[in-house]
Amino acid sequence: MKLFQRTIRDLHQMLLDREISSVEVTESVLGQIDAVGEKTKAYLLVTRELALRQAKAADDRLRAKRDVKPLTGIPIALKDVLCVKDVVSTAGSKILKGFTPPYSATVVDRLESEGAVFLGKTNCDEFAMGSSNENSGYWPVHNPWDLDRVPGGSSGGSAAAVASGEAIAALGSDTGGSIRQPAALTGTVGMKPTYGRVSRYGLIAFASSLDQIGPMTRDVVDAALLLQAIAGHDPRDSTSSQKPVPDYLSTLERGVKGMRLGVPREYFVAGMEPAVEQAINDAIKLLEQQGALIEEVSLPHSDVALPAYYIIAPAEASSNLARYDGVRYGYQAEGAKNLIEEYMLTRQQGFGAEVKRRIMLGTYALSSGYYDAYYLQAQKVRTLIIEDFKRAFEKVDALLGATSPTVAFPLGAKTQDPVAMYLNDIITIPANLGNVCGISVPCGLADGLPIGLQIIAPGFREETMLQVAFAFKAAADFRKLQSPLMKAAA
Amino acid sequence: MPEPESELSSREVEHVARLARLGITPDEVVRYRDQLRNILTAIDALKRADTSTVPATAHPLEERNVMRDDRTEPCLPAEAALQNAPSREGPYFKVKAIQE
Repeated sequence: MKLFQRTIRDLHQMLLDREISSVEVTESVLGQIDAVGEKTKAYLLVTRELALRQAKAADDRLRAKRDVKPLTGIPIALKDVLCVKDVVSTAGSKILKGFTPPYSATVVDRLESEGAVFLGKTNCDEFAMGSSNENSGYWPVHNPWDLDRVPGGSSGGSAAAVASGEAIAALGSDTGGSIRQPAALTGTVGMKPTYGRVSRYGLIAFASSLDQIGPMTRDVVDAALLLQAIAGHDPRDSTSSQKPVPDYLSTLERGVKGMRLGVPREYFVAGMEPAVEQAINDAIKLLEQQGALIEEVSLPHSDVALPAYYIIAPAEASSNLARYDGVRYGYQAEGAKNLIEEYMLTRQQGFGAEVKRRIMLGTYALSSGYYDAYYLQAQKVRTLIIEDFKRAFEKVDALLGATSPTVAFPLGAKTQDPVAMYLNDIITIPANLGNVCGISVPCGLADGLPIGLQIIAPGFREETMLQVAFAFKAAADFRKLQSPLMKAAA
Repeated sequence: MPEPESELSSREVEHVARLARLGITPDEVVRYRDQLRNILTAIDALKRADTSTVPATAHPLEERNVMRDDRTEPCLPAEAALQNAPSREGPYFKVKAIQE
């Protein structure tokens, strides 16, 4: 087994035992990026020198046994929406081409203080808007399981990097499913923590009441380790919660015996592929065999979650993206006669089609005459979705369903039809609107393509979700699921 | 019979693009109009939800009025804040005239 194929937990033990060095692990992962990077196109920028410098520093720390943490010396990829001081960060957009942040995101600072190694910035849909990574302002990412297919999005680069061995783990961001859906489509583990669990300081904003940063890994334990490192209050983000962060590892292995798990009937949506439905039903049975009590529940407003999301998220985005005006940073159009023309040209030339579509949709929903019918109504529907989850969680500890109704689809299959593309997120969106947490874990293959099981737990109960995910993993042994690109190098 | 939905017009698309400070070509007006019409049709179910007695949720936080002590703290130096400026003059961002 090559080092780049290992998990955080394994590597941490090997580093502690001085069996390997962080430089060796980092070189192994950089070697895999050299070998398959042109195939997946997962990275927008590989920070080779920075990574090796950090790896050397981590080795010093390990040698001195000084403040060694679970992530010390572990190579990690960062979605390009995360600001890293003096490292080009573009959010996958041409309007931020060459932008070098003068400060780092809080999650980046925290990983740095743990002694993690930064491999680079991973590709994503422009400003995290998309479900296939085809909206990247630079190039699409290819799924390591089948290079003619999408990896999902918007954290498609992070997902592809983790699935292909081009990173041991990664951070992504999830506004409507952007961590969980690509995790499902690439056979990896992806978690959206509860809103407020992780600081958003330094995350390039898409929809500020929905965005959350979360881990993308190849193992449930690794997701717990990464969450442990990034969770907790940050005085620089007033929307980050003051609630104490539990020790996620201490409850991980408790199992699901006696646990009540709900299956929302609305999550078996029309258009779900039969192989996905079969795999989800098998996963539910497996958890029942482990002692979980399964019961059907209803989330009656699930059908209006997607419509509400496609008002709220674009409305917030249209406001957030007003800052890209060519004045303080980023691209500035040439040849404008006056300031307003400069704004118009800069934004016309700098933004891609999907971003423009959402800015216009959001501006329309907020504009005079439409505000009540669209934006206010969507916010009220959000309340109904929160209440749906509250009622369900009076009866059960966690919910089970598919992450995505389909497996990875071919590149180009949905690019001409925005509505078809939006439907990819139909079962992930409610968790963002409902302020709960969700995780996707691999639960099988259909014709060689991964399927994801989604586990949803109440707000700030990430430990419950991880406990179910761990029990499922232990019973299903999905670690056998490795992408062809990962296997090829074995 | 419910009243038919009034469809998004090209003029409205131009108006919205103007509000969003987004330059747009005549071809794009037609393309975005059609795409936005499709999206608005797809999300029309939103209006069917009965929300007559439901309060709106703007954000999911339990915390209210997050305050901090009123004291100065180190902040970004001007040079760092200006390092990405497309055009600048001294310690300022330089912009075009507001009027011709």
